[in-house]
Amino acid sequence: MDIAELQRTIEQDIASIKSEADFRAVRDRYLARKGGVISNLLKDLASAPLEERRTRGPALNSLKLHAESRLEAALRTLARRPPGDALDVTLPGRPPLLGHRHPLTLLRERIEAIFLRMGFLIVEGPELEDDYHNFEALNMPPEHPARDMQDTLYLASPIPAGERPATLLRTHTSGMQIRYMETHRPPIRLIAPGRVYRRDGLDLTHSPMFTQVEGLVVGEDVTLADLKGTLVSFARELFGADRGTRFRPSFFPYTEPSGELDISCVACNGTGLVPPKAGTTGTGEGACAMCKGTGWIEVLGSGMVHPAVFEAVGYDAERYTGFAFGVGIERLALLKWGVEDIRLFYENDLRFLEQFPL
Amino acid sequence: MRLPYHWLCELVKVPGDPESIAAALAQRGFEVASVQHGYQPVIDFEITANRPDCLSVVGLAREASAAYGLPLQLPERGMPPAGQPQPIDVTIEDAELCPRYCAQVFEVSSTGRTPEWMRDRLEACGVRSISPIVDVTNYVMLETGQPTHAFDYEKLGGRALHIRRARPGETIRTLDGVDRALEPDMLAIADGERPQAIGGVMGGASSEIGGGTTLMVLESAYFKPASVRRTSKRLGLKTEASTRFERGADIDAAPAAIARAAVLLQQIGAAQPIGPMVDRYPSPRHPRSLTLRASRIERVLGMRVADAEISRRLEPLGFVVTSNPEPQVSWHVTVPTFRVDVLREIDLIEEVARHDGYVGLPATFPALTAPQPPPDARTVRDRHLRQVLTACGMSEAMTFAFIEASAAAPFAANDAHALVSVANPLSEKFAVLRPSLLPGLLDAAAHNRRREHHDVRLFEVGTRFAADGEVRAVAGVWTGAGSPAHWSGAARPADFFDVKGVVEAIATAFGVEAEFEPASVPYLVPGRSAEIVHLKAAAGSVAESAGSARVASAFRRTIGLVGQIAAAVADARGFPAGEPLYAFELSVDALAALQRGDDLRAAPLPRFPSIVRDLSVLVDDTLPAASVRGTIRSAAPETLTQAIEFDRYRGKGVPEGRVSLSLRLTFRSPERTLTDAEVDAAMDQIVAALADRHGAVRR
Repeated sequence: MDIAELQRTIEQDIASIKSEADFRAVRDRYLARKGGVISNLLKDLASAPLEERRTRGPALNSLKLHAESRLEAALRTLARRPPGDALDVTLPGRPPLLGHRHPLTLLRERIEAIFLRMGFLIVEGPELEDDYHNFEALNMPPEHPARDMQDTLYLASPIPAGERPATLLRTHTSGMQIRYMETHRPPIRLIAPGRVYRRDGLDLTHSPMFTQVEGLVVGEDVTLADLKGTLVSFARELFGADRGTRFRPSFFPYTEPSGELDISCVACNGTGLVPPKAGTTGTGEGACAMCKGTGWIEVLGSGMVHPAVFEAVGYDAERYTGFAFGVGIERLALLKWGVEDIRLFYENDLRFLEQFPL
Repeated sequence: MRLPYHWLCELVKVPGDPESIAAALAQRGFEVASVQHGYQPVIDFEITANRPDCLSVVGLAREASAAYGLPLQLPERGMPPAGQPQPIDVTIEDAELCPRYCAQVFEVSSTGRTPEWMRDRLEACGVRSISPIVDVTNYVMLETGQPTHAFDYEKLGGRALHIRRARPGETIRTLDGVDRALEPDMLAIADGERPQAIGGVMGGASSEIGGGTTLMVLESAYFKPASVRRTSKRLGLKTEASTRFERGADIDAAPAAIARAAVLLQQIGAAQPIGPMVDRYPSPRHPRSLTLRASRIERVLGMRVADAEISRRLEPLGFVVTSNPEPQVSWHVTVPTFRVDVLREIDLIEEVARHDGYVGLPATFPALTAPQPPPDARTVRDRHLRQVLTACGMSEAMTFAFIEASAAAPFAANDAHALVSVANPLSEKFAVLRPSLLPGLLDAAAHNRRREHHDVRLFEVGTRFAADGEVRAVAGVWTGAGSPAHWSGAARPADFFDVKGVVEAIATAFGVEAEFEPASVPYLVPGRSAEIVHLKAAAGSVAESAGSARVASAFRRTIGLVGQIAAAVADARGFPAGEPLYAFELSVDALAALQRGDDLRAAPLPRFPSIVRDLSVLVDDTLPAASVRGTIRSAAPETLTQAIEFDRYRGKGVPEGRVSLSLRLTFRSPERTLTDAEVDAAMDQIVAALADRHGAVRR
């Protein structure tokens, strides 16, 4: 029998194997020690002339090996075939109902975690405030021009609350500095997160309601250098260790000296130039719109607690020093996640909310 | 404040281009809004409220001279020779509101023109050229920071200026053509008859200078900042002058600005001073002097500043510094009158620190000296609530605390008087403080539904407001599927029991026993809404049979509401008609008050098997399941550990008006294995009690 012909027949038979029974039949037909086609041919060869043994022997042996390995492969394929009651494991699983936290919550909790690790206490305060806690005790007496920095929303009629009725929606969380110091002695190390309100229109970057985290540290040896160190570590932890930071002088009525913390621009990476479009090389043309070409973006305001603030709460301003800071969570969120419109945080579109991790 | 680069260079030979000047001043606390290039480069600074002296070219030039250690060349202001005097009678009648008032009469020439260089600079600063005299007053204000005002001398009745409070009923037509009523605490600059200017805010139209003016009086004064601010706010009139005066002008600039204006008016041929300058300054002020201690600098900054640096940093800014080495290193510092912000030692420390823009400041960390108390309970609670609610499949929303009055009205407690209104809302959309979190969530649900998001589950933790104060609340809305569509089966639409389940999860999380009673509130569908209440046990006794409506109100505390939002309320907010929206809202403050204390003791696991019996009874279909459960519990022995409904059936085999209710009862004793006989006896008691109290029939 022609060996090539035989090989073709074997291939056809192996290809038609559908079950283990088929497999056994094909294996036995060709390879059974008794009566297998190849076994028989090899047996016949033992009695053939030397010349034939020399030519057909290796060919038959290699055909046998080939058949064995093809059969083995066929058996493996059979083993992979699912049983009749098999599941299609590629179908989607039944999703458990799981909700997403709001991105502002994610960020707030992250900020809280950073400061908790630094040994800060978390406190909360009222959203309806009186003029004394929101302004006056913070070195902003009536007619102080710095009151213009925060356009205030007032209540149509006062609401009873403790000693002083509430007359306004707090414009910042700084009132918590006063409220806490009024009832506690140093050392103090706290953050006070919460909603604040301003008489601002709603647009891409402004909202009449936003979230602030206030910080206050008071002790006998708290310095401006401590403030700088605290803020820089906070910014690096939130925005990455390789993010540039800059602490520079500024003004707030309730801190002196005051400072603002800048980070290198998240859009242009501090170059001040329009970032190159994806897929092109070199830098873009013109000034970066996000940092207005300066390469820096302000992220928070801060300073050493003004002695007048200590005096308002009855602390010895000679004995104690302290620092305070305030950071807007929305602003950080816009920068951190590249959100282009602050309104998305309050629209509660699930297509937006569900982009953030569970 | 727009600073033309070339104007600055005239006063300080700054070495850099506009960009580098901007960066150097930004580092000293002057934030840069923009840098404009071109023929007339301009750096626009945002001047903080404490530095009115830098609302001027000279002020910013002084900062630049300090930054670069270069001399400041002040503009020429020698008073030119005076001509034939004209009488002017200046009287300060209210020295509190106006401590200093200077006036100078000028003879106006008709030939003068504003030269191009001055027009260019005014324009670069954003000021339109009007006439040579007005241009000079604006130029002097931009240069020195001191506003001045020109009156037409001939139009001043009695050739007099009385600086006094406005009289009742007095009015003035200001330069902008508006008639304004003055109030007695506003400062008027009046002639012999009536107000001719509002002090520090704006001049009057009747004494405005014009083409026909031959003699003018130039005013340069110091007005009390708080008074200018109050007047400007009251009149809704904010001017370049009021902006400067309300922040605090330089009291010594009053005469200096007149001298400077005289130089310029003469130089451009617009006017010539005649007669001596009038300077009314009833109680001259002495420059403030302060002590600055080296030890305090180090204590506040956390770094040492070399003693020699102090005068090097302060003197270019106009401070006069003398050092006292004993008893401790300190300096005696005289504050220039233009630095109205420097009131005490701490302000000088800032001046020292900001010189290098805090660059040399080390970054350290404050030492912890005491352990912290735990975080605010509200923070911890809110976080716990978010965990529970996200695990219930709800996503967190944040909505505005102020809403439209119409959106708030249905949710207000009892009547609209409970709503808290904002006195000065920016728009009607933000007019009242939310009495409930639900209006915001309803809008958020409608927003998502209109964007093809069918299944919406949202919650919010936040503050709601009423006339008696603020309350921390949690609320949620659920519409669409109760369990979502999957290839294995169709979606099940959400219903009342989905949201009720969420409420029960919250109650469990807080360890609070919540009961549900039919509710009647305007924003929920009757028959599909419940009040969530906590029935407090009287001291020492077991709670009254739950669900029985006649529990004394003293033991009853309302926690919240759950139910289906009324169609009219949903419609009004644009929620698609015909789709049910379920909602709940709980007072977190109320939950917190009831919250189980930190006194958990783990119970041992049961050691004996339980016996389970199913019970089906026919009862009136109006009878609450809670009543049936309550009766079972009160009739059963203590070995009944659980009774839970597993079927409620109406239809074939059940008479009209009745319902078949099936419960699974579990009996177990902690001490021994129960016998069938005792459980049978217990079942008989239960069935008898159900028959007795509710006319129930066992099926």
